Amino acid sequence: MLKNVAINLSALALLAGSILGTPMAQAATAHQSPAKPIVLKVLYMNQAGYTTQVLRQMAAGFHQEYPNVTVQFTFLPYGNMHSAILTSAAAPNAQYDVVLSDLIWTGEFAQRGYTIPLNSYIDADIKNAAQIPGSVWDGFKIGGRIMAMPFLANFQNFYYNKKLLAEAGFKSGPTTMAQWLHQMEVLKAKKIVQYPYEDSWTQAEGLVCDYVRTAGEFGNGNLFNAQGKPVMNQGPALQALEWMHMLYAKGLANPNSLTADEPTAANAFASGQAAFNTNWTFVTGIMNDKTESKIVGDGVVATFPVAPGTNPMTHSASISGFQGLAIPANTPAAMRPWAWKWIQFATSPKVQAQHLHSQWPVWSTVASSAAEKRLNPAWKVYEENLNAVYNRPAVANYLQVSSIIQQYVHEAIAGTLPVKQAADDMVQQIEALK
Amino acid sequence: MSMPATPHSGFPSRKTPVRRRLFLALTGEYFWFYALLLPSILVLIGVILIPMVFAFQMSLGNTNIVVIGGKGSIQSQWVGFQNYLSLFASPLFWQAFRETVYFWFVSIVIEVTLGIGLAVLMNQKFWGRKVFRLIVFIPWAIPTVVNSMLWGMIFDGDNYGALNDLMLRLHLISTQIVWLNPMPVLTQVPWLSNTLSYLGANTAMNAIIVGDEWKTLPIVAVLVLAGLQTIPHEYYEAARVEGASGWTQFRRVTLPLLGPILTVVLILRTMQLLRAFTMIFNLEQFGLPLLSIQAYQQAFSFGSFGTGSAISFMIGIIALLIAFVYIKQLYKGEM
Repeated sequence: MLKNVAINLSALALLAGSILGTPMAQAATAHQSPAKPIVLKVLYMNQAGYTTQVLRQMAAGFHQEYPNVTVQFTFLPYGNMHSAILTSAAAPNAQYDVVLSDLIWTGEFAQRGYTIPLNSYIDADIKNAAQIPGSVWDGFKIGGRIMAMPFLANFQNFYYNKKLLAEAGFKSGPTTMAQWLHQMEVLKAKKIVQYPYEDSWTQAEGLVCDYVRTAGEFGNGNLFNAQGKPVMNQGPALQALEWMHMLYAKGLANPNSLTADEPTAANAFASGQAAFNTNWTFVTGIMNDKTESKIVGDGVVATFPVAPGTNPMTHSASISGFQGLAIPANTPAAMRPWAWKWIQFATSPKVQAQHLHSQWPVWSTVASSAAEKRLNPAWKVYEENLNAVYNRPAVANYLQVSSIIQQYVHEAIAGTLPVKQAADDMVQQIEALK
Repeated sequence: MSMPATPHSGFPSRKTPVRRRLFLALTGEYFWFYALLLPSILVLIGVILIPMVFAFQMSLGNTNIVVIGGKGSIQSQWVGFQNYLSLFASPLFWQAFRETVYFWFVSIVIEVTLGIGLAVLMNQKFWGRKVFRLIVFIPWAIPTVVNSMLWGMIFDGDNYGALNDLMLRLHLISTQIVWLNPMPVLTQVPWLSNTLSYLGANTAMNAIIVGDEWKTLPIVAVLVLAGLQTIPHEYYEAARVEGASGWTQFRRVTLPLLGPILTVVLILRTMQLLRAFTMIFNLEQFGLPLLSIQAYQQAFSFGSFGTGSAISFMIGIIALLIAFVYIKQLYKGEM
């Protein structure tokens, strides 16, 4: 009897909670500041994307619009973000009302229910969703559910130093893999640089990004086939491993790449030590900043060289690093409307247009605006690389899969395992995961 | 308030019934004794016992974080010792085990030999001894994270890494070495290199051991020095009268009398080394999968709190076993 009463009350409470959680119910409060001051806790990273200063400016703008809402940030390095979201999910009420969610966590968060689908909010409030490229939306969609609102359209660009290339006798950067290899060999042979290329191959997530992108440059950056089977030991994925190992073995890639992360590789390029760098969009800012760069005016942003016949539409192959804003499933119901209001504000074309110097916008309308073209002469290249992105595997146990990829790709590059054996072992280990 | 002068005298004996003992504790002359102990006991229960029991419970289950009805919690489905059995069947666990043992063993050998040597040196009378002692102790005062960054810069694989730069200038190497990349060592002798790799040795591991030792050696030396200063001079004088050489004095007098303090040092450092995390994670992330790193990765990266807890308990059990061996050795003559 008592058990039945408890079940009925729980069901009523859930029903009431879900009704209160709908955008319709929130509409009454959504257009005005809350009656009492509230603090909205937001988890963001202090590593890439918008800087902490830009985020604080956004928060100040939001506070002006909603005077009773104060946005309080927790900034963490990217590497600590996932565990912070995980441990926050274990608490009865979330430690953060809004979190920055990487696209690689989409599958896990959706399957485990750590963040809520935003479809109802987006359907109700985002009228121009088609102005965000489909490739960006895809990073946060799983089974029709949208788990985060796109916030950072991060992806990789190909960078080269035109002055060093000119010294080697080249008038332009490479467009094919064979050209790229030839240019690196000439740069090394002429001793213009000791190591023409530096990349971020330390055993971390960045290595998976570089591997997927390189496989894309050889024709297909999908590490799993349509049946969900890992295919690293065949086709473009295997060619990518062989290529990365060859660059290391021939001394074309700096051996320090094996312990370098993205900022380290970017600094090597900006210091003029390397002629090529494949990296996230933040490098554009660094290479043109007199305080950080010795190659101001010499760095060029380009599309990626690809193997013949690859991507005839885009003539490039890049990797996505999109990040979105998500609402944890244990964010209290009363806070959710304000969490969404913040997300809507921070991801809006209006706000993103105010910070073009800091980050490539997710909105294609803003990306192709006159202001962006004025600020970023390479906007066309950006657009082409964005349209050529591959996503990392969208699997629920992604972090376990990624850990295996990192280990074996690292071993293949360093030569501690023969390339084919590393690829076979990688596939075998991934297939053995539950 | 009556405080007992000798707390052990007149205590209710073990034969006294529990209820009677409890009554005496609450009402008798030992009331304040127990009352003053209570806060410490509660803190120990709160921050050690309960989390340990909770972690052990998690290790016996398929433990996951779940959010139901907008409330987060940890849910555990009992699987018995399955997590432990899965670990024993996993080659990754054994690789981590070997690497952990290598890290501990090499570090301990360095600490004991250099620590004793340094302590003996600091125990001598020479000009500037106080300054020398102070300098030796400085690395211990540096925060572990700062120490990691410092050694990261020293071992940087580029030409501007301090160690590479020095060795290039001295013509000891012709090209830079990526010290923090886990590459096999002594590759000129393949069988030895393969054996060492199997045991967990590689360039990154050795580099981290050096960085970690630089910071922790001083505390070992200072503890051993404290032990040295408790040894009466008369023992050495008697040994000299008997014609004992310096080495014999060290072997026959110093070492045996340092036994208790060395045991404390070994137990303390063994526990610290087996759960070493900060420097390894800062410099290698998950690239050197020692047991402590694996425990963290399983729990906080993969969300497998059961497996993470099981690995943590394995670390504890290994530490206990090693401590048991130390203590057994110390009291060998008395048992």
